[in-house]
Amino acid sequence: MKLNKVVRWEFRKAVMNKGFVIMTVLLPALIGLVILVYGLVEGGTSSSGSLNPPPFLIAVFLALLLFLGAFISGVIVFYGVLKEKGSRVVELMLSSVSAKDLMAGKIIGLGLAGLIQVTVWATIAYFAARRFLPITLSGLSPVQLVSYPLYFIFGYLLIAILYATAASTMKDVHSGGAQGMVGLIVYLPMMFLKMLIEHPNLPWIRAAGFFPPFAPSVMMIRIAVTKVPWWEVVLSLTLLAGTVYLLARFAAKVFEVGTLMYGKSANLREIWKWGIHPSRT
Amino acid sequence: MPVLEVREVSKSFDAVRAVCGVSFSAQRGEILGFLGPNGAGKTTTIRMIMGILQPDQGEIRFTLNGQSNQVNKERIGYLPEERGLYDDAKVLDTLIYFAELKGLPRSEAQTQVLEWLERFDLTEWAKRKIEKLSKGMQQKVQFIAAVLHRPDLVVLDEPFSGLDPVNQDLFKEVIRELKEDGMTILLSSHQMNRVEELCDRIFLIHHGKRVLYGDLSEIKEAHGEHVVRLRYAGNAGFLSIDPRIKDLRMSGDRATFTLHKEVEPDAFVRNIPPDLVIREIAVERPPLHDIFVHTVAGGNHETQ
Repeated sequence: MKLNKVVRWEFRKAVMNKGFVIMTVLLPALIGLVILVYGLVEGGTSSSGSLNPPPFLIAVFLALLLFLGAFISGVIVFYGVLKEKGSRVVELMLSSVSAKDLMAGKIIGLGLAGLIQVTVWATIAYFAARRFLPITLSGLSPVQLVSYPLYFIFGYLLIAILYATAASTMKDVHSGGAQGMVGLIVYLPMMFLKMLIEHPNLPWIRAAGFFPPFAPSVMMIRIAVTKVPWWEVVLSLTLLAGTVYLLARFAAKVFEVGTLMYGKSANLREIWKWGIHPSRT
Repeated sequence: MPVLEVREVSKSFDAVRAVCGVSFSAQRGEILGFLGPNGAGKTTTIRMIMGILQPDQGEIRFTLNGQSNQVNKERIGYLPEERGLYDDAKVLDTLIYFAELKGLPRSEAQTQVLEWLERFDLTEWAKRKIEKLSKGMQQKVQFIAAVLHRPDLVVLDEPFSGLDPVNQDLFKEVIRELKEDGMTILLSSHQMNRVEELCDRIFLIHHGKRVLYGDLSEIKEAHGEHVVRLRYAGNAGFLSIDPRIKDLRMSGDRATFTLHKEVEPDAFVRNIPPDLVIREIAVERPPLHDIFVHTVAGGNHETQ
């Protein structure tokens, strides 16, 4: 009941934000327009199919887009929590809703905004690219169509929960510490993007697909470029979803303590203690 | 039946005992002064009443409509000392949101919010973003957020800080009205004169323990001695040798001193020698300020 209201509030606040409108519509539309104009100036040769993209291009593109969308929304959650803590409005909020609802409402509300963002991006990109690349949606396999939304949702939840928890235990945006590393973990596989695409079946890359923080990016790229056995997809998704579940329970307790702790950043030992024995604090 | 009952409540953070075995209650339609020096355990106690923190020991109960219960967040309001709102949201939207979180239906929330904005002279700011408001205006918005759902209990933590005198009076007036309507108000403040003006009873916490609790006039009675403030002309020499007075401070044509406990103010004033001309005189119970300082300093002394 109250969760709904927090979700609606966070969603509205996110999509009414100027930055969101610019990032979601204006910027991609502008880039799309430039590409279209460029295509026309080139004489329309592009749509004749002289360029021959690899068949998995659209899937790789979609994977990157989904990962980036989840990641950016996670970053927005991070700043949202920090801002809420910094402005102390959190104190007022907690006299009305539970810490769990507050955190969940923010994550779900901003996630829905992120979903809109990704959808708009994908649509603009698709129509712009189709002007001069012979791509069709039928190139997407059933495995991709089923697994991508799940990787997006659970990937986003994982990133957002990690970020919300990290932010709730930080003094302000300038204080680093262990919390600063959190962002890097999920982004790490992107540093090896070329290798992921060229050698998707190397043993250590397959193993990375089961490690929940790496799973969304690694698996979506692998599924795009190679045929991944279904059991690997199911196992990776199960581990990811299970981690999200456990992490959410741990994070709610940390958030409850951390978000009211002003003036200093918590260290890992404290965070661990808050998550395991919240009654002591 | 008290609306709020705090029984033997304790709370520790790691090795620090923030609150130890504190008890008090608040009646319907009373303003209870909730006092204490910085770091005494006030905020921790308030957070426990608000259901933001759980006590380690003891119990906090609310009795509303004859039913005794644990905290119902929809029936309480809070103006935290740490002020803060969503900067990028509009005043009207923010207040409706807070009202909805307290269980008011949207349409009623809107009506209430508009009435309150009118009352606080903020109507023309309704569609503006919070960040455009002055600090005092933001404080009004927060005050509205604390009371607009007509809670049974509201905790006001330093409601007057940072307000100009006109707005301090406005807040005072509204707080009195809410009390008349039967709202129970916990008023936490370091401004002792405001507490004296508004509160029926006070509760003083120090080092996590209750050190003073009860009817304000009784507490003043118990702290006995009268303070005399005098502006005079002529010869005030007798003041420095009169055995009935102590703590004499003189500067220019002014003198302030305390009468010993057994001295009746009436008898004292009648016996002032004729060569001292009284321009102004006030005989009062010690101000709460002095009781506060005395109690807290004394408490410090005992524990050291």
